[in-house]
Amino acid sequence: MTITDIMGEGTDMLAVGLGHYLAVSAILLVLGIFGIFLNRKNVIVILMSIELMLLAVNLNLVAFSSALDDLTGQVMAMFVLTVAAAEAAIGLAIVVIYFRNRGSIEVEDVNLMKG
Amino acid sequence: MGGAAMTWMSLNWTLALPEIVLSCCGMAILILGVVSRGNFFRLGCMLTVGAFLLTAMLVLSGANGVGYSGLFVTDAYSVFVKLLVLAAATLGVVMSLDYNEHENLRRFEFPVLMLFSTVGMMLMASATSLMTMYMGVELMSLSIYVLAAFARDELRSSEAGLKYFVLGSLASGLLLYGVSLIYGFTGSMDFALLAKALSDPASASPGLVVGIVFVLSGLALKVSAVPFHMWTPDVYEGAPTPVTAFMASAPKVAAMALLVRLMASPFGHLLAQWQQLIVLMSIASMLLGSLAAIGQRNFKRLMAYSSIGHMGYALIGLAAGTQAGVRGVLIYLVTYVFMNIGTFALIIAMRRRGRAVEGITDLAGLGRTDPAMALGLAVFMFSMAGIPPFSGFWGKYFIFTAAVQQGMWALAVIGVLTSVIGAFYYIRIIKVMYFDAPDEAFDVRPASLSFVAGVGGLFTTLFFLYPAPVVAAAEAAAKVLFG
Amino acid sequence: MLYAVAVFAPLLGSVVAGFFGKAIGDRAAQAVTILCMLLASACGVASFVSLVYQGGTPGVVDLGTWVDAGSFHVSWALRYDTLSAVMVAMVTCVATLIHIYSVGYMSHDNSIARFFSYLSLFTFAMLMLVTADNLLQLFFGWEGVGLASYLLIGFWYEKPSACAAAMKAFIVNRIGDLGFAVGIALVFFTFGSIQFGDIFAAIGQHSADTYHVLGGTWPAFEVIGVLLFIGAMGKSAQLGLHVWLPDAMEGPTPVSALIHAATMVTAGVFLMARMSPLLDHAPGALAFVAVVGGSTALFAATIGCVQNDIKRVIAYSTCSQLGYMFVAAGVGAYQASIFHLLTHAFFKALLFMGAGSVIHAMSDEQDIRKMGGIWKKIPLTYTVMWIGSLALGGVYPFAGYFSKDAILEAAWASDSASGHYGFWCGLIAAFLTAFYSWRLLILTFHGKPRADHHTMEHVHESPAVMTVPLILLAIGAVVLGFLFRDQLLGEHWQAFWGQSIQIAADNHVLHAMEEVPGWVALAPSVLGFAGIALAYFMYMAVPSLPGQLASAFAPVYRFLLNKWYFDELYDAVLVRPLMALSRLLWQVGDATLIDGIPNGMASLTSDSSAQVVKVQTGSIANYAFAMLIGVVALISVFLIFR
Repeated sequence: MTITDIMGEGTDMLAVGLGHYLAVSAILLVLGIFGIFLNRKNVIVILMSIELMLLAVNLNLVAFSSALDDLTGQVMAMFVLTVAAAEAAIGLAIVVIYFRNRGSIEVEDVNLMKG
Repeated sequence: MGGAAMTWMSLNWTLALPEIVLSCCGMAILILGVVSRGNFFRLGCMLTVGAFLLTAMLVLSGANGVGYSGLFVTDAYSVFVKLLVLAAATLGVVMSLDYNEHENLRRFEFPVLMLFSTVGMMLMASATSLMTMYMGVELMSLSIYVLAAFARDELRSSEAGLKYFVLGSLASGLLLYGVSLIYGFTGSMDFALLAKALSDPASASPGLVVGIVFVLSGLALKVSAVPFHMWTPDVYEGAPTPVTAFMASAPKVAAMALLVRLMASPFGHLLAQWQQLIVLMSIASMLLGSLAAIGQRNFKRLMAYSSIGHMGYALIGLAAGTQAGVRGVLIYLVTYVFMNIGTFALIIAMRRRGRAVEGITDLAGLGRTDPAMALGLAVFMFSMAGIPPFSGFWGKYFIFTAAVQQGMWALAVIGVLTSVIGAFYYIRIIKVMYFDAPDEAFDVRPASLSFVAGVGGLFTTLFFLYPAPVVAAAEAAAKVLFG
Repeated sequence: MLYAVAVFAPLLGSVVAGFFGKAIGDRAAQAVTILCMLLASACGVASFVSLVYQGGTPGVVDLGTWVDAGSFHVSWALRYDTLSAVMVAMVTCVATLIHIYSVGYMSHDNSIARFFSYLSLFTFAMLMLVTADNLLQLFFGWEGVGLASYLLIGFWYEKPSACAAAMKAFIVNRIGDLGFAVGIALVFFTFGSIQFGDIFAAIGQHSADTYHVLGGTWPAFEVIGVLLFIGAMGKSAQLGLHVWLPDAMEGPTPVSALIHAATMVTAGVFLMARMSPLLDHAPGALAFVAVVGGSTALFAATIGCVQNDIKRVIAYSTCSQLGYMFVAAGVGAYQASIFHLLTHAFFKALLFMGAGSVIHAMSDEQDIRKMGGIWKKIPLTYTVMWIGSLALGGVYPFAGYFSKDAILEAAWASDSASGHYGFWCGLIAAFLTAFYSWRLLILTFHGKPRADHHTMEHVHESPAVMTVPLILLAIGAVVLGFLFRDQLLGEHWQAFWGQSIQIAADNHVLHAMEEVPGWVALAPSVLGFAGIALAYFMYMAVPSLPGQLASAFAPVYRFLLNKWYFDELYDAVLVRPLMALSRLLWQVGDATLIDGIPNGMASLTSDSSAQVVKVQTGSIANYAFAMLIGVVALISVFLIFR
């Protein structure tokens, strides 16, 4: 099965194929990235954006895995989930100590060091 | 495909013995730290250093081969990188001994985090699959996020941690997305299978190309190559200095090594296509590293820009895309690690009346108040500027010759030009130390820092006497990727 | 074996004194370094004698692999041929005497062990330089002597002037080294090797090689020759790169004697002789060498005539004498240049150390205008200074007579424009040399005492540990000339030099110089005596004359006194523009790039200005944005250009 075959299936109007999954995941990724740098308010939103990106990746992996009929992608998705959990925990912990020192978690306040 | 792979390769788990042993040591130290009464920091550091040395011995004595169904490899390349990473991590732990006592950071988690981060780096060195690569990168990064914010009562440190965390996670997101694309468009995560699938450069689809760029971007952040360098100065300045020293050495080595292996082995056939990306990043890094450093007043910030520049030089070797180029990268990394660690040891030693200072002007007249320290710093600065006979010169020499052999004159010339600009701010430090009116003397330097600076200084000055072993090992390591 | 001992004994002494100096004390450190030096000089002389007079075979003492990188293979090895052996013998002997002399001279200093360690380190580096078997090892020695001289010039680092002088020496030498390094690279590029043996064996094959750069075709040997000579100019303080040498007199006097008279500054001359097989096929480069050498000889001599610091006079004289050596090298008489190098090492070290003895006697006074009338109080120093000056002035039968005459004869005999230029410059310089030497002698020792009463009471002869080396050097300055003249330059010079100096088949300078017209051989001596007479007349007979002359020809006098305004010229042409450039870069880097680009953008896009400025100010969002831009840019590049 070649790539063009897979893409061909996805472009079918009625069936939900690989192309649709990829499109959704790309949108999620872009949302996540934009969430990081368009967001001016809250660091928590950034954490959520990061989660969104990882979800996009997972969707991609699983979709590819299913389309390629290969388990590696799903195994990877499990790893990503685990790491995402650890990452979220660490991120929140850092946000907490930052809040303790600064008294605010506004993104615009995070600019003590520059130049 | 995946199912078949399981049968034709045995698990071969002993190949990963160093990593396994090191992880077990880490967990044991963690448990000991939790159950022990009193302060476990110093002992924890000692145990960590012991674990590193033990691991280094295991790395040296281990067999070569592919294990875990092609996920993990031990070869001359990985051994070279692991030893360098372990050396840097060991010196990093030694450096933190005194600093953490002074700054009230004596918590046993500190060396343990360094240890786990080191496990991650070793995994990166041995990764032969995108999956192992990701796990290694994350294990390394997650530990360092925490380390950067380790001075939890200090705003600057927590801000450094936050910045590094957000940008690092963004980079892992990009990296992962790239991994998923590469996987989707080639059907494999295994480096060997990828190389086979991509043996015809024409078969690279746009999706795959986008995937490669995403992975490249994710790793570029870890080596802080322009334009993914933005976090570097802020995080270096804010993080506790031993952490900065650690971040500037070991992870750079591991990430650069991983980048080289990734580009050279699975994507090696696409050299002509990714080459110009590396060239662009290399030129931008060298330029930014040398120009932006000129106006810096904070020594740690200056070192951040300096390390951006150094990574730019190392990338020249990768851009050459030959065995000689990779050998140059490896030699460059060795020289970089030792001079970098040595410099940071002396930065940590900048302490006046118990308070750490890090301004460049604080070094004024050091040549008179502490000639030994000034001499050491002068050696490191000369070496970083690439002045013979110090090791920094030889690193650049091997890199530039590799580039010239490939006819990349422009790259080599820009490299030489930026190193001339770079020499300006390195030598400015020497000028401040020797010709400015002396400031108050620094506090007495603890033996641990003198030790680290001495190791770095001796290596840097004496490298040229007998570079043969390093060159030969780098040659053998580079051969693995091209052999 | 003896040979290796000669080279490495100083290193041992240096390491012991350097690292254990505090533990074992100053006395022991001195003893160790001097013992090592004695051993080295014994071995050095023995290996020289066994090679030249007992039919030893020249060869290479292999010490191990150094760099082995692909086609680039270099090993540590000591080259054992006449040229190296003669240099080793000279360097070890002179350095030993200087070590001994330093015991007395530095006896009041605080860091004696450090001083001796540096001295020995320097000697070791110099020996590495002269025994190098390949250009890289030579470069190592070259940099090593540079580093050691930097340490020694700045030895009294509390003195700002000493630090500045050390820095100046270091930087000026870097300029020369750059040329040298490029030259080495080109040698490797051309010959595929930097081993001397390989290079010299392949001379014939490559003599027609050319480089095509900058839109022109350049003969390979000429380019290499000129680049190597630029390196030599830096080390040997030739015109243009000479500015560091006089300032280097800030170092202790034994340092001046060792580095700035006998050894380091002659490294450039040695390089010319070592590369003689190659240079002899580069007539253009040789002409350049001769012209620069001749100009330096004359130029430095004119300055020497008006300087008032006793060490600076001798420093300029060194500069001038080095010019002579390059003239000889430039006309293909490498043997003559090495001969002058040898004799010069002895009489110039003698002069420097004699000057040191004077300074010691005069309670650290260096200005000759404040001396005078002390010859009866320090008769021994007076005598050796006379011997040194006679040798320097080229008076028969002192050493300098033979070597300087040989050079001038060779320059005349070469029958080329550059050779004749060198000859006339050298001839005038010979007159000036005699003049400033006797000016120095007369002002220092004769006339009425011009020092204050207190100083005069303290004038005393130096201790034996200083005078014995002086006497030994004085003997060398007397006898070396007629002992070696015929062996080095006579009809049978090849029996002495062996294969260490190879000249082209059409180079007959050594033969032709025996047949120059009588006046050429006589002129230097006549002019030398004229110089002495003039000095006597001006400073003994009519002491008011110099002052009148100086005021009558004030512009000339000031021009000379200010060293032809070279320092000022460099300051205006190089230093200040560079400083301005670096300031500019600083402002561009600091103010413009970091503040200015955001500001510029802000003024461009007034609406979103607030947002754009923030991109540069440490906020996470903007960093992430930069990353995204980076990714997009990279993908575009990849997709467009693939």
